[in-house]
Amino acid sequence: MHNGFAPHLRQRSKAEQAQNFWGTTWRLLRYLKPWHWLLFFSIIFAIASVIFSVSAPKILGEATTTIYAGVKKGRAMGITMSRWPIDFHKVGHYAIVVLILYGCSAIFNLLQQLLTTQLAQKVVYTLRRDLKQKMRQLPVSFYDNHDHGDIMSRMVNDMDNVSATLQQGLIQIVTSAFTFIGVLFLMLTISLRLTLVALITIPIGIVIVGVISPKAQRLFGKQQATLGTINNQVEETYTGQQVVKLFGDEKREQDSFEKKNQQYFNAAWKAQFFSILVFPSMNFVRNLGFLMVAVVGSFLVAQGQLAIGAVQAILQYQEQFSRPITQLANLANVFQQTIASSERIFAILDEPEMTTDQPVKDEQPQAAAPIISFKDVKFSYQPDQPLIDHFNLDVAPRQTIAIVGPTGAGKSTLINLLERFYDVNAGKIYLHGVNIQDMTRQELRSHFAIVPQETWLFHGTIMDNISFGRMNATKDEVYRAAQLAHADHFIRTLPDGYQTVLGEGSTEISIGQRQLLTIARAFVANPEILILDEATSSVDTRTESLIQQAMNDLQANRTTFIVAHRLSTVQNADKIIVLNHGHIVETGSHAALMAKNGFYAKLYNSQFRHALR
Amino acid sequence: MAWFPATMAVLFLFGQTVCDLYLPTITASLVNKGILQQNFAYIMKIGWRMLFVAGLGLMAATVNVFLASRQSMKIGAQLRSKLYAKVLNFAGQEMTQFGTSTLITRTTNDVVQVQTVMFQVLRQMLRSPMILVTACVLAYIQAPRLTVIYLITLPILTVLCLLVLHYATPLFHSIQGKTDRINQIFREGLTGVRVSRAFNQENHEQKRFDNVNRDYTQTGVKAYSLVACLYPAMTLVLSLTDVGIIMYGGQMIAVKTLNVGDLIAFITYTTQILTSFMRLSRMFVSLPRASASAKRINDILETPSSVKYELTPPAKSAVTENTKRPNTQLKQVPAVEFRHVSFRYPGAERLALDDISFTADRDSTIAVIGGTGAGKSTLIDLLAHLYEPAAGQILVEGRPVNSIPANQLHRYLTVAQQKTVLFSGTVRSNLQKAKADASDEEMWHALDVAQASKFVQAAGGLDAKVQQGGHNFSGGQRQRLAIARTLVADADIYVFDDTFSALDFQTDANLRLALAEDPQMKGKLVVIVAQRVATVLNADQILVLDNGKLVGRGTHDELAQNNRTYQQIMASQLKQGGGSHA
Repeated sequence: MHNGFAPHLRQRSKAEQAQNFWGTTWRLLRYLKPWHWLLFFSIIFAIASVIFSVSAPKILGEATTTIYAGVKKGRAMGITMSRWPIDFHKVGHYAIVVLILYGCSAIFNLLQQLLTTQLAQKVVYTLRRDLKQKMRQLPVSFYDNHDHGDIMSRMVNDMDNVSATLQQGLIQIVTSAFTFIGVLFLMLTISLRLTLVALITIPIGIVIVGVISPKAQRLFGKQQATLGTINNQVEETYTGQQVVKLFGDEKREQDSFEKKNQQYFNAAWKAQFFSILVFPSMNFVRNLGFLMVAVVGSFLVAQGQLAIGAVQAILQYQEQFSRPITQLANLANVFQQTIASSERIFAILDEPEMTTDQPVKDEQPQAAAPIISFKDVKFSYQPDQPLIDHFNLDVAPRQTIAIVGPTGAGKSTLINLLERFYDVNAGKIYLHGVNIQDMTRQELRSHFAIVPQETWLFHGTIMDNISFGRMNATKDEVYRAAQLAHADHFIRTLPDGYQTVLGEGSTEISIGQRQLLTIARAFVANPEILILDEATSSVDTRTESLIQQAMNDLQANRTTFIVAHRLSTVQNADKIIVLNHGHIVETGSHAALMAKNGFYAKLYNSQFRHALR
Repeated sequence: MAWFPATMAVLFLFGQTVCDLYLPTITASLVNKGILQQNFAYIMKIGWRMLFVAGLGLMAATVNVFLASRQSMKIGAQLRSKLYAKVLNFAGQEMTQFGTSTLITRTTNDVVQVQTVMFQVLRQMLRSPMILVTACVLAYIQAPRLTVIYLITLPILTVLCLLVLHYATPLFHSIQGKTDRINQIFREGLTGVRVSRAFNQENHEQKRFDNVNRDYTQTGVKAYSLVACLYPAMTLVLSLTDVGIIMYGGQMIAVKTLNVGDLIAFITYTTQILTSFMRLSRMFVSLPRASASAKRINDILETPSSVKYELTPPAKSAVTENTKRPNTQLKQVPAVEFRHVSFRYPGAERLALDDISFTADRDSTIAVIGGTGAGKSTLIDLLAHLYEPAAGQILVEGRPVNSIPANQLHRYLTVAQQKTVLFSGTVRSNLQKAKADASDEEMWHALDVAQASKFVQAAGGLDAKVQQGGHNFSGGQRQRLAIARTLVADADIYVFDDTFSALDFQTDANLRLALAEDPQMKGKLVVIVAQRVATVLNADQILVLDNGKLVGRGTHDELAQNNRTYQQIMASQLKQGGGSHA
């Protein structure tokens, strides 16, 4: 529902940088609080799993050393043997320990992953639910002033980022850190010298990452920016596809698209290249370390200063050792983006909510009062663009009030105020003599039913959409309402009838028919006061007159507001309020206003002034 | 897909893999010859060789990443191009079949998914099987008999992976669908906030959302828990492999059929294999998503267009030459002709248009009037060849409309639609969509007629910004801009599909007056679809539609006298009676 007057303020989405990194991180962690036991045990199990798995290569190394010892012993004995004297008892012992270690590691790993999954999914579930609930508390002005695409992006893309990181990244920090520490520790216990040799690779690795990563980041930013322009074009031209076709503009749009596509390609492959290049580079560094350990280790073993199993173990560890560094570097990036995403989600959760309902208990509806009363109401969407001022209106029960005026006169605004989608800046509105701000919004709205300007139907059956008008509407009530809205007939001609699912793909229902469904919805609501906001502009006047007949029946105890600029719809109103620039310029019945020959008369007469040739 | 760079990428990946695995192999001889024989010179020599191989591996990897990056992004770009072109050429039927929002998602998100996976395939996914095979080959070369261990454990490993893949894939497919559903409900909540609140139905909305949210979470837990089993299982298998190597290998060493160095090499291979399989398993999550994306993209690319073209030049070629010349022909070809046209929307029971026949001449105004769902807009859509009729023929300037290529129809026909669509840019850029080389004068003239000059001037003239959807203008202003756009076009037939409904009476009347008096409109056919009798009073011909059938044709006076439907319409509008002035 975009208000045509308030310039469509857009919230520009910020770049991937988080504004308040640690603050947001803390806040995100607090979301994990209800499941802190899950988190705690996840971490414990992760650590346990790491400890077991890093210990195994060392033991395996011992097994090899034992084998080798047997060979060496045999050689030293000088005599030619058919078998080397290898102590298989010892080897077998080591083998079993290795199996147990890996087995424990596997079990703990499984447990940890199961716990993490529960944790991650539950946290995201809560975040989603909180976001949706927050949307309920936000005033309508928030919806009007924010780009829906941006809000959706937070719900979809940002939520995805957070979810993926919680699922995989969170524990990876723990495992990477502990693997690194554990491996380093064990390597040191095996051989100080070889460990130092292996450690030389770290500074080399850091330098490489330090050079490549920032470049990749910059290119990635460019990639995302160009992707944004592509997406914008796609969204616009797809929405306006018919217009593009009608004006034969396909080729030009395609050319312009190709250009953007090319720009994206240029930015994207480079970004991809550099960000992935880190891995083979680190691989090379690892191989470098590998060969250095192998060579130095060989020397040491040949000189009898080191067990051969030790070299094997260090070679195995070397593999396990440099990977955490790369992972941690990668994670740093991922975390940046995740925290930025969390921030965008929290930004919505922090938005100011509607003023709470402050019902005044003792206010009793006054039977004698007019049903609706506007007293000296002042309102504008923007403070510097005054809209409604010194507006007064009394509506007696069961009256039909028509509000007419040129576009921009403030007609929809009156509805916004009546339903308390927006609150008045000054003045008061009374329902049955009670200030509408002295009752809950729910109570207020239960008196009204609205057929808004833009048809809104949700993805559900026709039955669901119509019964949306009232919570416990029965099927018969829905049928009756549909009949009154002259929708029943066409609904029954549909293949699935009332069970037809409405969505983007429904072609059998024209714009006018969709409007009839929203009218049926209002019938189901059976309200005290009916509001029609330019409802019948897409329904032809012949059908509309039939509806009006039915409405007359329904209007026994019902007040009606009709907001329209088609004068044929308002001819039967009890009172016509003519608005212009937010002020009432004339009021009265149709006959009286015509006799006056003023603004209204001019509007009405122009209906017949010039039909087209 | 360009096969050459892709193959090269794979080849270089293979090269990198071989280099990576060659290192442990050399280690074996390092141990066997260098250590055991205490040959220091040999150790050094091997050291240099390893350095060389490592460097070679780095180069191979770099080339592979380079090729993989370019290839995957290129595929993405190509897919995007194809999709974009395809969708722009869709007929109305295809557009409504899919729905705009999923088309947008497919062109944007799904392509990115495929792109990402393509890269992973060229870079990572093939690596694991490569490592597997290369390791086995090298192992076999090293010690054929010990390789037996691999032959037992590696198939187990593969089976494990495939099993998980088999069960996880449908789960991840399902997650994708549920994500869509959550987002859809959330989006509906955004657009329908007023209606939800007005009917106090926000509880209902929340419940709808909660149900899907919960469902999603349950499926998510299932899917990820399943994938979680993979790593532990693989670890176990590989630890058994290691133990097997030690025990069995030890025995072989004891009987001197194996060297210690070979044993060490084998253990190292095993570690490599495990790491590569782990990388593989992490892709299980993205694979189903990518395959789902690929399918969704394919769905679009393989949808045939429902609109048919028969582009052989028409027999009566005389007509096309004469569209602009003053009519001195004996036989005047009507500007528009419908011959027994019928149309049904896909899946609908009844016909939206039933046997419609009429002609409309140039230099006249024809109006179409009728109730909701009578078929008015459908008629226009068929005329503009956005849909294909089920029966009958539509002719424009004597040519069957399906003989006019899509990108040329706009020279004959220009349409202002019921629902306004404007594009982000400027007023100028929007008007130029109708005519790329329109001069400023032409544009101002069109704006004048459309009663839009004043507010455009106030907004900053032709270069005034138009935001996405034109939402920085009010509904009536957008309508007028769209009308101006239609007027800028240089065509023979101008169609206004209920374009005056968003305007107030004064503006509406002024606009129609300006249109009537516009010299540019002389000689053209103007088609007006309307609901107000007042709008169509002075049309040369009025078509009355009811439930898809043409129930009346004639001037206002004729119809007012003879046509019941028309009389009904009149009655509902002209309550005052006797109010119709010309």
